[in-house]
Formats: sequence, C-alpha cells, structure tokens
Amino acid sequence: MSQLFEQLVDVCAPERVSDKLPDRICYTRDAGPSPGGIPGYVVRPTTPQEVSGVLEVANAHRTPVFIWGRSTTFIGLGIQDGCILMALDMMDKIIEMDFDNKVIAVEPGTVWHAVDVELNKFGWELAVPGPGGMFSCTIGGSVAYNAVPHALAEYGMTGNHVIGLEVVLPDGQIINTGSGANEAAGHLHFERYANGPDLTGLFVGSYGVFGIITKIYFRIRRVPDMEAYAFYGFDHFEQAVDAAHAIQRQAAATHMVGLFGGPKPANYDAHDAFLHIVVRDSRVAAQERIRVTEAVCESFGGYRLDNNATRLYWEGHMYSWLRNTPPDHYYGNRPFMCPEVAGFMPTDKVKDAIAFLRNDALEHADEWAKYDIRTKCNDVYFSSNAAFIWIDTLYPEMDEEAWQYGLALRSRYTEELCRRYMSPGGILQAVAPEVMTKLGAGFDFIKFLKRSLDPNFILNPGVMHLEPEASHV
Amino acid sequence: MSSAEKGTLRMGERRIDELKNLIYQCNRCGQCLDFATIGQANKCPAFEGGLFESYAARGKYNIARALVDGVIDYDMDLAERVFACNECRACAQDCFKYLDTTGMFTALKEDLAQLGLIPPNLKEALEGGMGLDETHNVYGAPHGERLAWLQDRARVDVPAETAIFVGCSSAYVRQNMAVDTVGALERLGVDYTVLSDEWCCGHPYMAAGQIDKAREVLEHTISQYVDLGVKRLVFNCPGCLKTFKHDAPEILGKALPFEPMHLLELMAYLADQGKVQFKPISPKITITYHDSCTMGRWLDIYEAPRILLKHISGVALTEMPRNRGNAYCCGAGGLIRYDYTDISNRAGNERFQEAVATGADVLMTSCPACLVQFQQTRSRNRSRMKIMDITQIIWEQLAVPGEG
Repeated sequence: MSQLFEQLVDVCAPERVSDKLPDRICYTRDAGPSPGGIPGYVVRPTTPQEVSGVLEVANAHRTPVFIWGRSTTFIGLGIQDGCILMALDMMDKIIEMDFDNKVIAVEPGTVWHAVDVELNKFGWELAVPGPGGMFSCTIGGSVAYNAVPHALAEYGMTGNHVIGLEVVLPDGQIINTGSGANEAAGHLHFERYANGPDLTGLFVGSYGVFGIITKIYFRIRRVPDMEAYAFYGFDHFEQAVDAAHAIQRQAAATHMVGLFGGPKPANYDAHDAFLHIVVRDSRVAAQERIRVTEAVCESFGGYRLDNNATRLYWEGHMYSWLRNTPPDHYYGNRPFMCPEVAGFMPTDKVKDAIAFLRNDALEHADEWAKYDIRTKCNDVYFSSNAAFIWIDTLYPEMDEEAWQYGLALRSRYTEELCRRYMSPGGILQAVAPEVMTKLGAGFDFIKFLKRSLDPNFILNPGVMHLEPEASHV
Repeated sequence: MSSAEKGTLRMGERRIDELKNLIYQCNRCGQCLDFATIGQANKCPAFEGGLFESYAARGKYNIARALVDGVIDYDMDLAERVFACNECRACAQDCFKYLDTTGMFTALKEDLAQLGLIPPNLKEALEGGMGLDETHNVYGAPHGERLAWLQDRARVDVPAETAIFVGCSSAYVRQNMAVDTVGALERLGVDYTVLSDEWCCGHPYMAAGQIDKAREVLEHTISQYVDLGVKRLVFNCPGCLKTFKHDAPEILGKALPFEPMHLLELMAYLADQGKVQFKPISPKITITYHDSCTMGRWLDIYEAPRILLKHISGVALTEMPRNRGNAYCCGAGGLIRYDYTDISNRAGNERFQEAVATGADVLMTSCPACLVQFQQTRSRNRSRMKIMDITQIIWEQLAVPGEG
C-alpha cells in the first residue's frame, strides 16, 4: 500500500478511498467520446475539510487531482493516468432553503433537477431551469462549468444566479466569496457583488482549475403562473433566424430554440427550419408575450405548427420532443456517440454558421458516408442578445476510424468557427487547444492566475489548456 | 482443460463479448444513479452501500466496456461489484437509452460463474453440503420437509387447473405465507394442487450466473405441472413468479404451457368482480405499502395490492415518497445478504426509516424476501412498527359472498 494511499485514507476514511482497478476504471471519462486516463485513486470526500486535506496530500506528492461531479459533460475531462480522482457526489445536502432572502444553499454534489423538485414542493424553483443533463448533473459541476441552461433567453447563464461560493483553493485554504466573505458577520451569503472584486466570477466557468467549489448559494424564485408555447416552421432558415432576432429585440421569449439541421420534426418535412418558443410569466403577461412571438414569426413567413411538441419538450425536459418524437428516438438504439461542438455567436452570424455547416456536410459527403456520420442536430438556443449553437454529429464509436474522424471533425469545426466568431461556453480539455490559443493576452492572464493559485498545477491540469510550463515542471 | 478451468476466458468464449453493441450504447448520462425526478433521493442500493460507481449501472457499463476492449479482466474485485447488485432494476427504469441493464449484469455473472468467481457464501449456499444443488432450497433444509407446513395432503400432486408454487421462503422460513395462500384459495373454492417434489424456482442460480442449473430446475418443475394438466400457476413470491414469467421462456427458449400469476392479481380481479369481499378492520389501521422491486419494476404489478387494500374497510393507505416505480429497494434482492450484508442492511435501514416517517401502523409488502428483511431491520432499529405480508391481511379479512 502506497504512502499516498495511506494518507488519503487518513483524510477520507478507508471506505471512501479506492485503488482497486474496477473502481478506478469507472472514473476515466465524461459522457463524451474523448478518452481519458485511469486514475490511481478515487476519493469521495464529504466535507470541505476533507477536500482541503486531499489537496494538501496531493500537493505534498505532486499528484494531480481531477474533480468529478457526475461527469455528464461531452467535451472531455482530460483525466490523467495515476491521478487522484475526487468525486464530490457524496456532498449532496441541501443546506438551507431561505425563501425570505430568495437563496438556496447546497453542497456541490446535489443533483440539479432533484433540488428543483424539492423547491417545487414549496412553489419555488431555482432561478434558472437547468442544463440538458439536469436529471443527473450536479449543481457544483454546472456552476464550475457555467452550463448553458434552458430559458437562456430570459434568465441567462447558470453563473448569473450564483450569489456566492465556498471554495477550497489548490493549497487547501477555504474561502467564501461575495457578501459571504465577511467572516466577522458569519459568512452571510446574500449579495454577490460585495466586499471587493467578483471572486465568485473567478470560479464560475473555470472548470475547477482555480479551486474546488464546496458550497453554492444560488438564487431562487417563485414558479411563474403560466407557461405558453409556440412552434413555427419556416421555408428558409434565414427567415427563422430573422424571426428569432426580432423576438430577442422585443424580449418576448423566455426560451427559444431554433432547429437548423438534423432530422426534421416528424410530419413537418416540408419546412427548412423551426422555432420552438416558451414563455413563462404571469397569466396576462404570458399570453401577451406569446402573441408577440406568434405575430413576429408570421411576419417572417412562419407557419404555425402544433405546439404540443414544444410543451412536451419543456415539461418533460426531453430534447426528442423538439422533433416531435418520443424520447427513445433521440439517440436511437445504436451505439452512436456525439462529439459535441457548442458556442456563443452574435445572432446575425447564425446564418453564416448554418450555411457553413450545411456546405461542409455536402463537401465531405463521401467521408460522412464512409464513416456513417450523421447530424443529430444543429440547434440554437437564443439568449437575450446572442445565440448558442449546438452542433451534434453522431458517429459509430465502435469503429476506430470513424471515432478518430469524429474527434477530428470536432476539432475542425471548433477551429473554423472560433476563428470566425464563435466563443465556446464549455471548454474543459478536449477543445481547449483550439479555443484558448486564440485568446492572446487573455489566455496569458488566465495562465498567470493559474500559476499564482496553483503553483504545483495540482488541480485539473490540462483543462483549459493550462499545462505547467517547463520552468514549473 | 478448457480455458475456464484454467481460470481465464478468452475473447469469444465470454458472454460479455456478445453484448458489445449493447454496452457501447450506454451514453454515461448518469440517470441510473439517482431518483432525481422526485427530489434528492437515492436510487441504487449497491452504489449507496458500495460507495463507488463500479457498483452502479453506469459503472458496470464502464467495466463491461473495459472488458470487451481488453483493458481489464475478470477477478474477485470485479466479481464483488457485480454480485453486490440487488437486481432492483431501478437503473433500467430511468435509462435514457432504455438499455436492459440487468440483462448485461447477468452476462457478467455468467462469465464470473464460469471462472468460479462466485462470492464465497453464495457459492456455499448453492454448492455446499446442504446447498441448493443438494436440497433444492436456499435455506439448507431437507427437501423432504418442503411441505411440512401442509396439514391436509389431499391436494398434493393431483390433477388440477390451478397450482400453487410455494417457493422456498414460504415453504421453510415464513410458512404462514404458505398456509395463508392455500387457505385463501380453499375459501374461494379453487380447485388447486401443490407439488410434493417442488424445487426452488431457480432464481438463485440466475443470480449466481449459473444459467444451466436454472434451466434444469425449471424443466424439472414445469414437466410436473404439465403432467397434472395445470393451466394457471399461482405464486405468493414475486421472485419466483419473475423467474417463471420472465426468465423461463428466455432460457428454455419456449413459452410456458400455463399462465403464471401472483395471488394478488387473482384476488384483485376477483374483488373487482365482486366475487370476494373483505371484512372491515377495527380499529382502523394505516398501512404504507412497499412495492417490492420484483413485484413492481420487474412484473409491473403496482395497482393490484392497492386495489385490494382499498376493498378493506378500515384500512387507510399512506404512500412513502418513493413509491411504485420509484420505490427504493429493501436491500434483500439479488441474494446479496450472503456476502454483502453491510450493503443490504444499509438499504434496509434507509427504506425502513422512510416507512416509519409516514407514521403508518403497518409496513406491508408482497414479497417474502422484503418481509424477512424488514422484520430483521425492525429488530435492529428496536421499532414497534408492524411488518406484514399482504397475503396475511387477505387471509384474515377474506369474506366469500354466500359463506355464512
């Protein structure tokens, strides 16, 4: 038994540390296709103090630590052979629902949808509906990833609603952010922009490279009175983009998804593109807002379709209903995997992006046929002022050549679109080289922060392309 | 000497390799890990007790993938993760890809059994001196005592359209269930038979990955029912029913020559037809009903017990937060108590506390394994909550119209 293992056991208790291969093999990769190394140890801490203790041990042994929530991302965690894998999903308590101050305090391993359900029992909800993996993703992971949620158009990103955090820094120190930083007042978390710079923002969307989030203080609100839906088809995708842009300008939609590729919704083959629109508000306001979206869509030549598909998608949180098909149609019963490419762009660039993707698929039709590549979707979530595109291709993962082609395709799309106008939301490890190297001095500053906070490059090394430089090895 | 006898199985000899297409379909979404749709709630007893994902469905799919990719090989550590599963099927219920998770686990068990990598206590219960191979029951009791609970032998081995499959638990350790089942059919005037040479249903062999032995015992029992002209086989144990209804057609490669059904299904049907009634209970009691995993997620029987209880005046039914398809396992399934008592007890405690929190007087189930598990859990918790199998209340309250 190694000294490192014994020290981890001292911190976390023997039953929550494993060096057995069948355990370690389960913590190598996320839900995406990027391969990962096999950790040397898996630890499941239950307190911030244990998290801190593990980091101290890791620093002493210069052994990397990779953080695991529920690993539902699609773009590669970059887990390295022999590392310490720290799974935070035993830290899964709802600490407090504070309806007076409209904030919930949770541990990072709480599951997003589960917390929402607990709030729903009181007529409340998390201030943003949650990302695609809400049934299994953790709140800690979603904040560290700054996941793109449903209802982006009105509520914005996950990180917009984080009031404060408790974070364990790479050296094991535990800090609080925002109003919670005030130790003399007992770490009261009620305002993010207090006590100096927005340290909360440093950790939101930083994928755990600067610290490990051990408590999240998140905004909550009353469940709105009403949800209204609209579903429109268009002859040309440009019309759909124009309609979405107009709806953005009028701030009419709570959630708006454009379908610009992949299978068309069942029974609507005649249309080229589609918009699903959800409005949540008071009864009067929701009806008025949905009427605005309908008028806009029709003014751009949209055809009103049966909005039951929109309702089913929204209420069931199942993407399959976007295409008017039941949930098991989403992937189909084939061993296909999805090398996802996703990122923000100005709304008016969506037209260019869709044209590029369609032309590219035609230009490479022979290769796509050879490797049996398919388009699952080119879907766009519209925010209040921009667009977030999801380019999901499917490839047969059991075919080694097709798998390599799928990974290369992801890199090429990321490279091409980032060079033009795209800024990815989720970066993590797999597409980090294509993304971070375009940031210039901005990336230098991120590297500076990393070196300052984590001089041993203990935390998630390689994530965001943050490798120790030669002088630090 | 075969490669299995040498302690290894080559690629192509393994069942798991046949399932590569299925294994690669797991997209690792993690919906098998929690009951998130009903709140912050545990779902997989093996994961909660074993503490690493290797015990949960997603982990076992990762392990299976590593096996078919040649990254890992079978050993006793791996066997522990596979055999610690309660077979509660909660993972399959919410699988995003509708994968047959437990089917894949059985393939892993088959390979492990071929290699002799069965956990020691389970192996002893099957193959030891008084094991299942020898006694045809999992309690190490003499086969000749299987009908010791039955006073009147007039209906043993007689031709009849209805037969009762007694099962090991009610034959040996919860004999009141057998008595109540027979008593209920007697009162209803059903012409039935029971076998003197009934063997275990074969579920323990399935749980151990010994499919050939399961086939053998099923063929032994089924042939006797065929000889007696049985058209309907009634069970009080959902585990036995599941073995006949789901597993037997698959491993025998043909449909059963009779209809298997749970006593509750028969009773609920008769109650709705007005052919049976129930005496009111006084003073009133509050019951919380535990959906056994086999009765619920395997057999999809959720409403029959609730219909029956609603027919009994004086019974108030209160549900646990996790009910029907979201019911949490009692921890007894999959025969894990032989080797993984801690995992089993942890799940039992969690479910028992959930029942206690409802404030009900009675925790009721319809599975002998759950019954035993909850009775033992109650003892450990020094609780006064009453534990009952539903056959007991059926027998005690049954009133046949026209009967004086």
